[in-house]
Order: sequence, then C-alpha cells, then structure tokens
Amino acid sequence: MRLLLDLRNTKNPAEREQLAREADECGIWGVVVTGLQGGECVEASAIAIATSHVVVVVDIDGQNVHPTTLAEEISVLDQIAQRRTMIIFRGPSSSRTVVTTLLSGLPSEGLILSPPPAQASIPVHSPEEIPQVDLPEDLTEAAAVIDRHRDLPAAFLIVSWDRSIKELARHFVGRATSTDFPQMVADMADQIDPINQ
Amino acid sequence: MNIGIGLWCLQSTATSPRSFGQAYQDLTGDAQLAEANGIHSLWLSEHHGYYDGYCPALMPAASAALAATQNIHIGTGVLLLPLHEPQRVANAANLLNERSQNRFHLGLGMGYRPIEYEIKQKNISQRLQLMNAGLDEIKAHTTAPTWVGISSEKAAERAGRRGLGLFISGAFSKEVVNTLIRAHRNAWEKSDPSEDSPPPVGLLRNLWIVDSEIERRQALDWVRSSYLVYAGLGWGADNTGVDFVSEIETSMDEVEKSATVGSAEQIAEELDGYDVDLVVCRIGYDQPPRSALTEVIERIGRELTPLVNNSRGKQ
Repeated sequence: MRLLLDLRNTKNPAEREQLAREADECGIWGVVVTGLQGGECVEASAIAIATSHVVVVVDIDGQNVHPTTLAEEISVLDQIAQRRTMIIFRGPSSSRTVVTTLLSGLPSEGLILSPPPAQASIPVHSPEEIPQVDLPEDLTEAAAVIDRHRDLPAAFLIVSWDRSIKELARHFVGRATSTDFPQMVADMADQIDPINQ
Repeated sequence: MNIGIGLWCLQSTATSPRSFGQAYQDLTGDAQLAEANGIHSLWLSEHHGYYDGYCPALMPAASAALAATQNIHIGTGVLLLPLHEPQRVANAANLLNERSQNRFHLGLGMGYRPIEYEIKQKNISQRLQLMNAGLDEIKAHTTAPTWVGISSEKAAERAGRRGLGLFISGAFSKEVVNTLIRAHRNAWEKSDPSEDSPPPVGLLRNLWIVDSEIERRQALDWVRSSYLVYAGLGWGADNTGVDFVSEIETSMDEVEKSATVGSAEQIAEELDGYDVDLVVCRIGYDQPPRSALTEVIERIGRELTPLVNNSRGKQ
C-alpha cells in the first residue's frame, strides 16, 4: 500500500509547497492536491516543479467541463511532472471514460491527445476507490489504522497528518508496504535522531 | 516600454523533432534564463489537436514557468477563450496570480481552426458571441491583467470598450498596428472609463538580434520557416490579404518584410516608433539551434532591454 499525503485542506500555497517538498525528500509516495475548478492542474504543476520524486495526485472536478479540456491539461501536467501524475476524477462517468481513454494514448471520437501523456497511461481513479483517513496522533493507534487498510488490501491510502512529515515517513511508509515492519527500528530511530515537532 | 519574449508553443515539429519532456524542461529553463537577463515576460501560445503537440493547455505550463522563477512575468499569448469554460479560466488565472505575486498575464483570443471547435463541440460560427460572453465573465471574475489578441479594428474596439489590453499579432505593418491602437484607444475613451490611464497595448514582433549580413539572412530564414507551422495550421492574417495556405511563398515574403532583424540599436530605434507598453519579441521558432535561442534571449535582455527602457516609448 502506498501513502498519499493529503494537501487539499492546506490553505496556504507556500505551506502546501513546503509540505510537498518534505514529502518528496522523505519518500512519501504521493501528495494529493486540488484547487477551485480549473485551478487543479495549475496547483499540481507548481507542486511538480517544486518536487522531483513524489507522485502528484490531482483531485479534479469534471462537472460542466469538456472532457478533452481536462485530458489536455492533465497530459501537459504529466509532461511537466515527468510521469508523476495520477488523477482522482469527480464527474460524470461518460466524461471519465473519455478522459481515461485519452490519457491511455487511445483515440476518443477521432482525437488523440497531442502532446500525449508522458506515462504510457495516466491512472484515473474515482474518489471512492481510494480510502482516506485522518491518522490519529497516537503512533500506536495510527499504526493500527495503517495495518487495517494495508491488509484489506488497499493499493493507496490518503492520509491527513498534522505532525512532522519525517515522522510519517519513519513510522508508516515501511509499515504500509510490509506486513512485518520492525517497529523497534523506528522507535530506536526516534531516540537516535529525535524528530522535533 | 517592457520587453518580453515569445511564443513558447512546446512543439515537436516535423522540422525539428524533440521529446516533449525536453520541451517542457526547456520552458522552465528559458524562463529562468530570461529572468536572469532582465527580460520582463515570457509568453505562451495555444492550439489543439495538432500533430506536433502545440500546447493545448497553457495554464499548467504557465504555472510551471512561474513556479520555477521569482520575478519574470508569464503570459498566455493567447489562450483561445471560446474553447474553454470562462469560469475555469478565471479560477486558474486567479490561482496563478495568487501563487506568483501577480506575475501572470491572461492573453485571450478566439482561434480560427474549425477542427478545434469540432474537438470541443462548439460551433465556430458562434465564436464571436462565445468570445464576448467569455470576456465579460473573465472581466467580472479575475483581477489578472487581461489582454485580447486581435487582428482587426473591430476586435480592438471590443477590447477597448471593456477596458482590456491589446495583444497585437506579429505580422502587421507599423501603419496597421497604429490603426489598431487608435481604434482601441478611441473605444476606451468613449466607454466613459473609470480608470485614469488606458489599458495597455502589447505588440508581438518577429525579431532577432544579429551582427552581420550572414546572420541576418539566417535569422530571416528562421522567421520564414516558422510560418510553415502556421501554414500547416491553416492560418490567415486578416488584414494582410494573404492566404497563408495556398500562397506560402508570398506569405513568407510578407512576414519577412514585417520582421525586425538587426543590431540591438537598430531594433530599439525601430521599436521606438510604436506607442505600446510591451513588445513581445517572437523568437520561439523551431529551427534555430538551442545555442542560438539562448544567445538571443541573453542579448535581448542585456542589449535591447536597456535601450528600449530608455526610449521615448510608453513606460
């Protein structure tokens, strides 16, 4: 299971960018961003430029917008992000079908995206496909939440986390990917290299 | 008078193929280079569904360039408004300005390719109505500096009446440019404006700084060849009476005549005759090698910009 840090409720752009950088540095798999309708890929593009490795997951409002416009914006974003784009799509299923088809490099109603996505195919998910949680501050309780979702099994988990990104990475990235995460190592790391909140 | 550069189209053409990843990396690199050399702005251009990947989504591209820089302004020259949902455009423009401390400029145009209207399931015969309704919505919902790309007096008047800036196409003679500016100014004055000063005027110019006749010929060949792209797109410049598709050589001759190629001093003298706030030097051709493009960006910033800033043009 891969962790996606939720930045959708972080109001300050500079703070969003800083958190995305920290997630990038600490090996969080993805960050989730959004914006007012039409601004989603603008926000994602700025985050992509500020980071190098983290996947930029864009929560997009597909209501009352031509699906080709959305696919064009996402494809350009994927070129900017150098294959680090993933989509959460909210909108009509007919639009989602067109967007998914175009972002797979296939034609829809005779149109092929140009430029194409940088990835072979950009993943498009509906919101209900990816669970999301507010991780408890208590590390033991949070670990139980991670374990539960990992064992569902879930491919992704969106987490809201108000504490240090390094702490999130230290305690939960490995736990999310392994059923025998050595918690002792993370606990000892906290003693050797304490994380200042 | 401010000096910008354009038009970044992010293409991979048949003439000069490249990876799109490289094109988008070059965009941010070029914006940083232009910023380091004191250039005011960099402008992007939009088309849809063209084989060479001509950028169909300017707002994410603008966001990347703004995020990679601190001072330079980034503009759309132009975003084809009738092909978008205006409220989404306004939201994106507002976010770009919020994120960049007001360094984003929203240039808007109508487009002319029937296939682009077909792709977006819009009726091209309605494009003027779509444009006017879109401009009103943009004016109401964004504070981003807004420019309207125009090629006719009527279009200039529409922009002037709304208190919006002008972004004048690159292939016009000085006489045509001045006519368009007058139409814009007159319409603005008749609109009983609340602002003290008229909306700004930007001028796109095919331009290259050279030191010799050999370089001059080379630059003019680049300008000519760049219009192959527009011939492919089916472009026609309304006021020149030139059909860019069927009369490609004639078209290139016309474009060459309107190009401004020479030393920085010669170019500054030529630009001094225009009553405009911004000149966008059109250097984003697909033929020049990267080394020539980066050199001309440096020279526009270091040689031309100081000369023009000291000229009689509008400040």
